[in-house]
Amino acid sequence: MTESHPLTIVDGCDTLPKLFLKKSVERGDKIAMREKDFGIWQSFSWDDYRQYALDIAHGLLALGLQRGDVISIQSEDCKEWLFADMGGGLCGAVVNGIYPTYQPPQVQHALSDSNCRFLFLEDEEQLDKYLEIEDQLPRVEQVFVFDWKGLRGFEHARVQPIEKLYETGRAYGEAHPGQVEDIVSRGDPEDLAILVYTSGTTGMPKGAMLPQRYIMFQMSIAEYLEQVGEDEILTYLPLCHVAERILSAWIPVAMGSTINFAESPETVARDLQELSPTFVFAVPRVWEKFYSRVTTAMSEATWIGRKAFQWATAVGMRRADALIAGKSPGGLLEFQFRLADALVLSNIKKLLGLDRARSLASGAAPISEALLKWYLAMGLPIKEAYGQTETGVISSTLEDRYRLGTVGEAVPGADIRIDDNGEILIRCLGQFQGYLNLPDKTAETLVDGWVHTGDVGELDEEGNLTITDRLKDIIITAGGKNVTPSLMENELKFSPYISDAVVIGDQRKYLTCLIMIDQENVEHYAQTQAIPFTDYRSLCNRPEILELIQGEVDRVNTGFSQVEKVKKFRLIDVLLTAEDEELTPTMKLKRSFVSQKYGELIEHMYTS
Amino acid sequence: MSQPMLEMRNIETFYGPIMAIRGVSLKVDEGEIVTVLGANGAGKTTLLKTACGALDSRKGQVLFQGREIQCRDPDWVARQGIAHVPEGREVFPFLSVAENLAMGAYNRHDRDGIEQDLQTVYDYFPVLRPMREKMAGYLSGGQQQMLAIGRGFMSRPRLLMLDEPSLGLSPALVTEIFDIITRLNREQGLTILLVEQNANVALQISARGYVMEVGGMVMDGTSQWLLESEDIKEFYLGKKDEGVRGRRRWKKRKTWR
Repeated sequence: MTESHPLTIVDGCDTLPKLFLKKSVERGDKIAMREKDFGIWQSFSWDDYRQYALDIAHGLLALGLQRGDVISIQSEDCKEWLFADMGGGLCGAVVNGIYPTYQPPQVQHALSDSNCRFLFLEDEEQLDKYLEIEDQLPRVEQVFVFDWKGLRGFEHARVQPIEKLYETGRAYGEAHPGQVEDIVSRGDPEDLAILVYTSGTTGMPKGAMLPQRYIMFQMSIAEYLEQVGEDEILTYLPLCHVAERILSAWIPVAMGSTINFAESPETVARDLQELSPTFVFAVPRVWEKFYSRVTTAMSEATWIGRKAFQWATAVGMRRADALIAGKSPGGLLEFQFRLADALVLSNIKKLLGLDRARSLASGAAPISEALLKWYLAMGLPIKEAYGQTETGVISSTLEDRYRLGTVGEAVPGADIRIDDNGEILIRCLGQFQGYLNLPDKTAETLVDGWVHTGDVGELDEEGNLTITDRLKDIIITAGGKNVTPSLMENELKFSPYISDAVVIGDQRKYLTCLIMIDQENVEHYAQTQAIPFTDYRSLCNRPEILELIQGEVDRVNTGFSQVEKVKKFRLIDVLLTAEDEELTPTMKLKRSFVSQKYGELIEHMYTS
Repeated sequence: MSQPMLEMRNIETFYGPIMAIRGVSLKVDEGEIVTVLGANGAGKTTLLKTACGALDSRKGQVLFQGREIQCRDPDWVARQGIAHVPEGREVFPFLSVAENLAMGAYNRHDRDGIEQDLQTVYDYFPVLRPMREKMAGYLSGGQQQMLAIGRGFMSRPRLLMLDEPSLGLSPALVTEIFDIITRLNREQGLTILLVEQNANVALQISARGYVMEVGGMVMDGTSQWLLESEDIKEFYLGKKDEGVRGRRRWKKRKTWR
């Protein structure tokens, strides 16, 4: 890339470290983040945040870190994650976030590909992964562990608790005042800031190089969209995923939002209920889950409760229809809706922990239109944002304009173009610099300054973007018909009993589908219907459950043309976890991996 | 063998407002030894108590030889041919060994049969014979466990349900008692449902097993398969991969597969 990009300036700063130093001093003892410790929320101010980040920066400088050296963080979300992230930025390091669910071979790739010098690990568990591959990673000089629990008495020349680094840093900082400020002031928007290894569905993950201007551009979008201000945010998606990084690391610096760390990935629903954040960003899977929870709770409610809910939903739906049509709902309908909200919907919002939410957003994966409409009916309009690691968020639906199914207009500073193949091309101020060590892949993706997204979509006359599917996922059946599987998959996922689905049928006579059931709801269904089962596998093999899913598939099929209908399906009868390769870290089924691994099951649908 | 000896379907049992078992199903075929594994508080004992009628389930069925027996009185259930050997022995401490055994035959009136079975019990547990007149409270833990099993046997059940027979016993005694349980199964044709924490011995003698966790079933399969499963090895057999440091403290996520 020779072309120079116009600068994005936020509050007079052109890099994140500059802005962080400025803003954290301004905000002083205002609360920056909260984390639960033994069940009690502990607060950390912006001063604390800066102090810890500076300790880490100074510590790394004391150990000889040079500008552009790579540090890596492998941890669940926690305050130390952000301290190390920001600290790395302050001393000119490039920060590489590694998914805590990665297994040793993937960790090894991410560390050696990035030439990592310093490594930050969450705890004993992550440390064991590192120790397993230690001898293949001669470039890693020092390893710091956030949580030393279980490691008392453990001695290793390269491994230390994070506290040691804080100490080293404090001493170094006193002896070298002004050094960090000097490094920060010399920072350039074109400096490589972070590496994000994208969850490669095929082959090893690729390291996307994101410069400082990428971060600044995302902050400017946050300012423009005005979705997040001094809000309470729940941090629960992996911070190495760029969506959570934008939301929990960068936006708070620009906008002064307060972040709250979820206790663990398993307790998100409870944390949400407890905190009731004012801004909620979630991936479609989470929104689907909430919807299922409400549906299940309602099916068990008293007769009166059910009737009241049906009425409130009907009112909400009528109002949603009006809003979508661009009309004002009218006095009577608005009055009915207020009543429904006061009597019924507010309780549902409380149940989900969305009662204080003034703004909601979805992204990182396609979401079903029907689901968005349901939320709108509940009085919870969800904005849909679109983007990818390589570009950041580049479009979003706007306040008070309900264009369900589209992902909105391009934000200022981003251009969207559809090429002859229907592929979405993006050019924006914040786009990535390329893939680390992969000039060929970079050249494929970044052509003449445009990022080839790999998504197929359309732009309407107002400039709203609609995503059809991933280009490589589009199915061409043996009959030569083009089918976009995600449309069907999203409809299937809308069923409370289906957690994820992969439609198959490329070069085949008809479409088939692999389905992952929603354990909680299907178990509940089996229990209420008195269908005996023992474990997950036996549940998936019960004829009654197969019938239930068949019913859901049939229902969804009615909305599709003959060639687009799913003729057969199979259930994946293994309960998958984030550690399994079948799932991406955000718990989506990986199409190519799944079609390979369950090849036999798929063949069976075409032979029998 | 058209129908299972015991079948439980979608059982839900509550202690007041607390759901102790949330939808459990299991099956024991005639002549089988079946193990239910689970940590403390998983609901194993509740499951047995529900089967024998000591607790009533709020939902689901218990079928004994195809007949619904849930929510009936325990003495009625016992008369149908189910004997429950409770956790912690629960022998009558102030009655003698012989009286304890006679209590087991409380529902029976065939004098000859009772006498014959009494001799069978003393044959299986020869240590009990010389202690016939001794108060049960003075017996050692192992002897009390034998007495409890013997008492269960005295009702001449079709199905014997044992709740943690290895509890508090020395490894040598555990082996001895499990040998006898196996013999009772083979020689007397007793169908046995065994609840255990000692996964190793229990899976050695049983054909199939279930794993319970927080009130639900998480795994079921042949004992051989369970013994080889990674999660069973780590969480029940204590054989964990010690990792590179040789001392791993963190726990893997259970996946039960």
